[in-house]
Amino acid sequence: MSILKLENISYHYDRSKVMVLDKLNMDFDEGKIYTIVGKSGAGKTTLLSVLSSLAAPTDGKIFLNDRDITKIDRYKFRSKYVGVIFQSFNLLTHLTALENVILSMDISGKKFNRPKKEIALELLRKVGLDEEEAKRRVLKLSGGQQQRVAIARALSYDPDIILADEPTGNLDGETQDEIIGIFRMLADEGKCVIIVTHSPDVAKASDITYELKKPDKAS
Amino acid sequence: MYILKNALKSITRNKLRNILIGIIVLIISISACVSLSIREAAQAAKEDTLSGLQVTGTISFNRQKAMEEMKKSSSSSSSSKSSSSSTKTDRSKFDFDVLQGSSLSLSDYKKYAKALKSGDSYYYSGAVSLNATGKILPYGTSEDDDSSLSSSSSKSSSNSNSGNMQPPGDNNNNNSNTQNNQDGMGHQPFQVNQGDFSITGYSSYKAMLSMFGDDGSYKITKGKMFDETSDALECIISNELATYNSLKVGDTIKLANPNYEKETYKLKIVGIYKNSDSSSEENNRFQMNDPANNIYMNYNAFTKIIKASAKANHKMTDSDGNKTSAKLTENLAFTYTFKSVDNYNSFAKKVYTLGLSDDYTVNSNDLQQYENSLLPLQTLSQTAIWFFIIVLAVGGVILITLNIFNLRERKYEVGVLTAIGMKKAKVALQFVTEIFIVTFIALIIGTSVGAAVSVPATNTLLANQIQSSQSTGNNVKENFGFKSDDNNGTPPDNNGGPMGKMFGQSKAQNYVDSVNSATNLFVVMELVLVGLFLTIIASLAALISIMRYEPLKILSNRS
Repeated sequence: MSILKLENISYHYDRSKVMVLDKLNMDFDEGKIYTIVGKSGAGKTTLLSVLSSLAAPTDGKIFLNDRDITKIDRYKFRSKYVGVIFQSFNLLTHLTALENVILSMDISGKKFNRPKKEIALELLRKVGLDEEEAKRRVLKLSGGQQQRVAIARALSYDPDIILADEPTGNLDGETQDEIIGIFRMLADEGKCVIIVTHSPDVAKASDITYELKKPDKAS
Repeated sequence: MYILKNALKSITRNKLRNILIGIIVLIISISACVSLSIREAAQAAKEDTLSGLQVTGTISFNRQKAMEEMKKSSSSSSSSKSSSSSTKTDRSKFDFDVLQGSSLSLSDYKKYAKALKSGDSYYYSGAVSLNATGKILPYGTSEDDDSSLSSSSSKSSSNSNSGNMQPPGDNNNNNSNTQNNQDGMGHQPFQVNQGDFSITGYSSYKAMLSMFGDDGSYKITKGKMFDETSDALECIISNELATYNSLKVGDTIKLANPNYEKETYKLKIVGIYKNSDSSSEENNRFQMNDPANNIYMNYNAFTKIIKASAKANHKMTDSDGNKTSAKLTENLAFTYTFKSVDNYNSFAKKVYTLGLSDDYTVNSNDLQQYENSLLPLQTLSQTAIWFFIIVLAVGGVILITLNIFNLRERKYEVGVLTAIGMKKAKVALQFVTEIFIVTFIALIIGTSVGAAVSVPATNTLLANQIQSSQSTGNNVKENFGFKSDDNNGTPPDNNGGPMGKMFGQSKAQNYVDSVNSATNLFVVMELVLVGLFLTIIASLAALISIMRYEPLKILSNRS
C-alpha cells in the first residue's frame, strides 16, 4: 500500500488559467527516495506545495494511507504527517538552530517520551551539527548548516514523509553528498523521501524518479 | 504554553519596538489614571457630602417668570403707548398685582409641609420694622454719639459711618431694605414706611440657631435667651444698642409702628447678645439696617404684635392722598429642612401636587452653594475626561500604526510558522499575547505613577481651575444673578438683607479645593479595561492581516 497516492492531480493558478499540473498519477512508498525532475516551469515546486498541502489541487485527489487528505486539517497535515524542507530553508533566522527544531516539535502537538531539547540536539547531531552550532542563531550559520537545520526541523516530529525542494541547490559537491547520505539514511529508517531537484546526481541516487513535463495547453 | 514562551522570547528579542509601544501605553495609562482619578474624586466629593448634607429649602415666587409674562401680555395690549409710559405702568402693575399677591401665608407653608418626609422639618421667622419712640434711639444715627460708644464697639466705628451717610434723624430713609429676610423669601413689594429697628420673631431656637450659624459669633452676654414657647413680649437686643441707650436686662423699650406713630408696643429686654462678626460684615454692607439694631424674639410673641396691629387697623394717608391701612405687615421667612438631598428633590416635586402654583419655585441656597463649590472640580473632571478620550484616541492610532509596521516586518515569520503547521489563530494569539504583555506591564507602571501623582496633580489643576473661575468671575456670580464685576456682594433678593449678611450666608464662594484620595479600585478596573481596549485596538491590525496571509504567497514572494 502506498503511503501517498496522487490521483489525476491537476493545478492551475486562479487568474491565468494556465495548467501547471495536468492529471498526475503518482504513488509513493515508505523506505524509498523519490526524485521529481523536470525543466524550469514544469511545476516541480507547485507539485511539492500540493503534496505538502500548502496549495490545494484544482482537481484530483491525494491519499495518505488511503485517506483523502482534504479530510485532514491542512495545518495538522503539515505539522504532523509531512516534514517539508524548503528550497530557501524558511528557518526563523532570529532563533537558534535548536529553537527552530523545538518550535516545530511544539507546533506538532505530539507527545515525546524524552525532553524535546534532548531529541532536537540528537537530531541536529545526526545531520552534522554539534551542540555549539545548534545553539547558534540560524543567521550565523552557513548555507549548508542551515540546510541541515531545515532537515532536522522536518524530522523533529517524526513524520512518515519527507518533502525536500532542491535540497542541494545551494550546496557544494561534498556537502551535497552528505545531505544525500542523510536522505538515504532516512529512507533506510522507513521514511518516504520525496525530493524535487534539478540535480542529475541526486536523481541518480534516488530509487524512483518522476519526470514532470510542461502541460501542452491551457485548459 | 509554547505560545506564551514564544511571545516572551519575541518581546525580549524586539526590545526597541516594545519599549516604544510601552512608552506610548505608559503615557496613555498615566493620563488615563489621572483623568479617571479626577473624575472619581469629583464624584466621591459630591457623593460624600451629599450623603451627609442637611439641606434647607424655601419656596419662592418666580419673579423672572412673572415679569416675562407681564411683559408679554402688556406688549400685545400696549403697542400704541409710548414705551416709557408703558414700562412705568408695567412696573407699577407688576409691583401691585403680582408681588402683592405672591406672598404665601404661614398656613400655606404649613400645608406644603405635608410634602415633607419623616426626618424633615421646618422653621420660620417673621420680620417687621418698628420705629424708635420715647427714650430709645436706633444705634448709629447721630454723629455726636460716636464719642459715647463703648470700647466694645471699636469695630462699630464704621457702623456709625454708615449711619452718617444718612441725614441725621432721618430714620425713615435709613433702612430701605430692612424687611428683606435672610432666606431670600421675603419681598418688599410695595411702599411701606421703614422703621429704625428690625424685629424678628423665630418659631423655635432651632430656627434661630440655623440662622445664626454655628461659628459662635453670637453670644448672650447678659441676661438669658427669650422663652421659646412663651408669648410674652420679651426680646434680646445687641450690646451695641444696649450701650448706646444705656439699656440693661429687665428694661422695657417702646417701639412704634412706622406707619402710625401712635401705635406702640412695649418689649421687655430679657437678654443682651454680642455679635463678634458684626464689624467684619460692615464693609460689604450697603443701604441696609445696622445689625446692631436687630431685635430678636419668639414668633408667638412677635405674631401678637402683628395681630394687634391688624386689629387696631389704623389708617394713614399716602402720597396721593388716599387713605390706606397702616397695619404692620409681617415679612415671613419659611424654611424647610431636609434630612437628605433626595428628600429635598422629592419635596420639590411633591409640593406641586399639594396645590403650589407653577409661579413658585422650590430652591435651596445651601444645595446651590454646595453645587457651586463643586464647579471647579466638576469642570476639571469634564476637561480631564475629554483629555483622556483624546489621549486614548491618539494613542490608539499610534499603536495601530506601530503594529501595522511591526506586522509587515514579521510577515515572513508568520509565513514560516503557518508553513510548518502553526494555525493562523495560534499565530494571532501569540502576537496578541505579546501586545497584551507589553501593554499590561506599561499599564501597571503607568497606574502606579498615575496613582502617585493623581492627588497632587488633581490639587494643582484644581487650584488653577479655581483661580481661573475666580479671575473670570464666571458661573457662580452669574448664577446668583448679578454681574461678575460686581464685587460688592450680594443681590438684595438672594442671600441679602441684614440677616443674610449677619449670618455669613453671603460670604465668598468656598470651592472644594482639594481631594485626599483619587485612585481607587474602580479606577484600576477601568484602567484594566483601557488596557484591554488598547490591546484589542493594537492587535486588530495584526489579527486581520494574519488571517488574510497565505503562507505559500508570503514565502514565494520572499523567494
